[in-house]
Amino acid sequence: MGFCVCRELRLRAIDLCNYFFLLQVTYKWLSFTLGVHVNQAKQMLYDYVERKRKENSGAQLHVTYLVAGNLIQNGHICHKVAVVREDKLEAMKSKLATIASVHVYSIQKAMLKDSGPLYNTDYDIVKTNLQNCSKFSAIQCAAAVPRTSAEVSQVQTSAQADSQTPNDTHAVNVPTINGHVSSTAKQPSPQPKGIMGMFATKSASKSQDTNKETKPESKETTIATTVSSKVPPKGNAMSNFFGKAAMNKLKVSSECEQPKEEKTVAKPSVSVMEPKSPPSAAVEKPGKKMEPVKIQQKDKRSRAKRMDMSDNEEKEDENLKKKRRRIKRPQSDSSEDEDVSVSPTPQEANPPLPSPEPALKIELEPATIEASTGGKKRKRKRVLKSKTFVDDEGCMVTEKVYESASCTDSEEEFIKSKLPAAHSQSTAAVKKEPKEDRKGLKKGAATASKANKQVSIMGFFQKK
Amino acid sequence: MFSEQAGRTAQGLLAPPSAEASTFARVPISTYTNCSQHFRLGERSFNRQYAHIYATRLIQMRPLLLERARQKWGSGIAVKKLCELQTAEKCCIVGTLFKSMQLQPSILREISEEHNLLPQPPRTKYIHQSDELILEDELQRIKLEGAVDIQKLVTGTILAVYGSEREDGKFVVEDHCFADLPRQLPRRGPSTDRFVLLVSGLGLGGGSGESFLGMQLLVDVVTGQLGAEGEQSCAAQISRVILAGNLLSQNTQNKDTINKAKYLTKKTQAASVEAVKMLDEILLQLSASVPVDVMPGEFDPTNYTLPQQPLHHCMFPLAGAYSTLQLVTNPYQADIDGVRFLGTSGQNVNDIFKYSSMEDYLEILEWTLRVGHLSPTAPDTLGCYPFYKTDPFIFTDCPHVYFCGNAPRFQSKELTGADGQQVLLVTIPDFSATQTACLINLRNLTCQPISFSGFSAEEDEGEMEISH
Repeated sequence: MGFCVCRELRLRAIDLCNYFFLLQVTYKWLSFTLGVHVNQAKQMLYDYVERKRKENSGAQLHVTYLVAGNLIQNGHICHKVAVVREDKLEAMKSKLATIASVHVYSIQKAMLKDSGPLYNTDYDIVKTNLQNCSKFSAIQCAAAVPRTSAEVSQVQTSAQADSQTPNDTHAVNVPTINGHVSSTAKQPSPQPKGIMGMFATKSASKSQDTNKETKPESKETTIATTVSSKVPPKGNAMSNFFGKAAMNKLKVSSECEQPKEEKTVAKPSVSVMEPKSPPSAAVEKPGKKMEPVKIQQKDKRSRAKRMDMSDNEEKEDENLKKKRRRIKRPQSDSSEDEDVSVSPTPQEANPPLPSPEPALKIELEPATIEASTGGKKRKRKRVLKSKTFVDDEGCMVTEKVYESASCTDSEEEFIKSKLPAAHSQSTAAVKKEPKEDRKGLKKGAATASKANKQVSIMGFFQKK
Repeated sequence: MFSEQAGRTAQGLLAPPSAEASTFARVPISTYTNCSQHFRLGERSFNRQYAHIYATRLIQMRPLLLERARQKWGSGIAVKKLCELQTAEKCCIVGTLFKSMQLQPSILREISEEHNLLPQPPRTKYIHQSDELILEDELQRIKLEGAVDIQKLVTGTILAVYGSEREDGKFVVEDHCFADLPRQLPRRGPSTDRFVLLVSGLGLGGGSGESFLGMQLLVDVVTGQLGAEGEQSCAAQISRVILAGNLLSQNTQNKDTINKAKYLTKKTQAASVEAVKMLDEILLQLSASVPVDVMPGEFDPTNYTLPQQPLHHCMFPLAGAYSTLQLVTNPYQADIDGVRFLGTSGQNVNDIFKYSSMEDYLEILEWTLRVGHLSPTAPDTLGCYPFYKTDPFIFTDCPHVYFCGNAPRFQSKELTGADGQQVLLVTIPDFSATQTACLINLRNLTCQPISFSGFSAEEDEGEMEISH
């Protein structure tokens, strides 16, 4: 009953469309526009044509039909599906051995020369209804259910894990370029709110760099406690490893200069990385402005490489060895160049890391504590500076490096330079030591005289 | 046959609207397994020479060939290595063929300044009367003469020859044999009609709009929009669609940006971007209704060397949301409803066509099956990854349906092997040229072409036929 009433309206709708708006009305267009099943749309078109032709013989309506059926051709039974003009309909039907379907495809006012416009109409209407393109279709597929975004990212993760299983490679235990790049294609897990949101977005771009970082985070608990009041609580993943780190971190004071390194679990995954990087960003400099902190986070990681040892020693060792992936460390950014040139060996020294580790622990303890006591209360600004120095071969090298511009500058430099020297091979260390010390001393002298003042870049040159 | 029973309701939609419109449920996938893991490459290293792939090919195929040789020429025949050959002694040797071809494009010749040659123009066939066949094994090589069809064979084939060495050092062949079809697992197909649609060469971005309507009709038939009720119910029995390569047209591959100045091409978009967007929309329409497997082809944005890796899902943001969309490798092997499918996008057959006298794509397809290797000319003339452990292109089991895409026309044949294997060979035509796809009935392993057409101004009745 209701349908019959609607039918009148629908027919009138076709009328209007045909005469005022559209050049042709295809069954698909009608189906989407009126929200009816495609077969009903086809029938409606047919009905309309019949009525119009009965009523109003003056009205010129051109119709195209769809014909489908079997045709014997070259010894095959070919199934043919064709859109034909009304005047060719009978000819086509007679060609087919068996006819499977005939129905109205479209109606238009003017005779169509070719079927191009029909395609355009269909294309447009499908384009505007892409998300439910099969809603009015006669076939419904139970398996075709769009995935939610969470599922999509999960599938992408597993797809990449599959693609990483090499079937024709040497034994490689480090997922390399393929794995590396693909991890960035993953979608970040839902960002934590508030302050962390800011860090998290920046961290997303960094996740590639930090993907292979295995250094556990330092001072998480202490920083976390200071920051906790300002920052909303994180998810469980973070609290889990905060909890573990907490036990190890108690003795080391909240030294912001210490690099904030991220602990990775054995399986690299961005979703876990994401929650980690926000805390790392957060713990860096509580109470700082956003922009400097963002730069600083980058710096922290660069220093992280040098400060590796200190963190490693203070952490539990169980996951350390596996997680350390400095061999495949991503290419250095500018701030790391100095590191590379001054002491390229820390990277190569990674395999022998465990052995020197305990020895260095004691050595560095005083350094870190010294730095930590000094730097705890001061504001720190990371500034990109050019450093000119004389390297191994006696050449002047200018490097850009992030430095903390504060009165503890000298101490940092000292520690920074001292650590790579400590970690490198013994011969190299001996060579470097005097140079580093020299550099450090220079700075120490420079900064000592300007205690409590920000050291400018000119300070370096003045002392020559 | 598809839509045979549809005749009764054929004209049913030429009627006033009915209150109810029937909807048909797509046949559920009973079993599907993707068996293409050996075509997936993880970390790729190109530090190796290609000699390893030939070595492993020979090692893997030698036992098969010896078995065939003994079956054919008796178990008492002497099997020798090339280094053990003695003049005028009848024996059987197994090795890799190398066809030394005068017209084969060689990069070294092209850049050789002594010869001062212009680059050779591409030809359809590179065979020449003066080509020679050489058999190589692990240590030595020997020229072949005699009962071998030099023009037909191509480099990289492993075969066994029976004959004897002559005084001049050439081996006179009396007979030869190939690995032949491997054994086949029993087929557990469905008991009712169930179809798989094979399409290849959609050629999007090609610039010509003629094939678009045909493509839209194809999508509409498969998704059940088109046709009367009988046809729609038959279309609901299409359980899978496989797109076998060349989804993008060759025109999207233009490399003008390399030759043009940067300031001219700075803001131009690659032609493939629009084409991929269009492809995404088409795949969305299909995936919303039927499981789709997308294989890359020669002109698609993936790696060039075989095996081609699946297209990246980031290119299909719309369609990728559906789990029915599967991006698969080329070559592709899968068990669909108990029937083993194996096929490529046509590069292997096309390459053999260039270097062999065989003219028919179906003949070449059958020949690769008999030779026991998907693509013997890789890596010689067809790009291939330098495998060294195994050669994944060797047939391990015989498929039930073996197809190749982008053929010039539709052909199909049912092949029966010596051990009772039944294989349906299908060459899928290029859709952008022929507007034809293939429907395979899994119940009885028959194949039927399905073609689409619109109408155009200059067309008369005769042109409505699609030539096969």
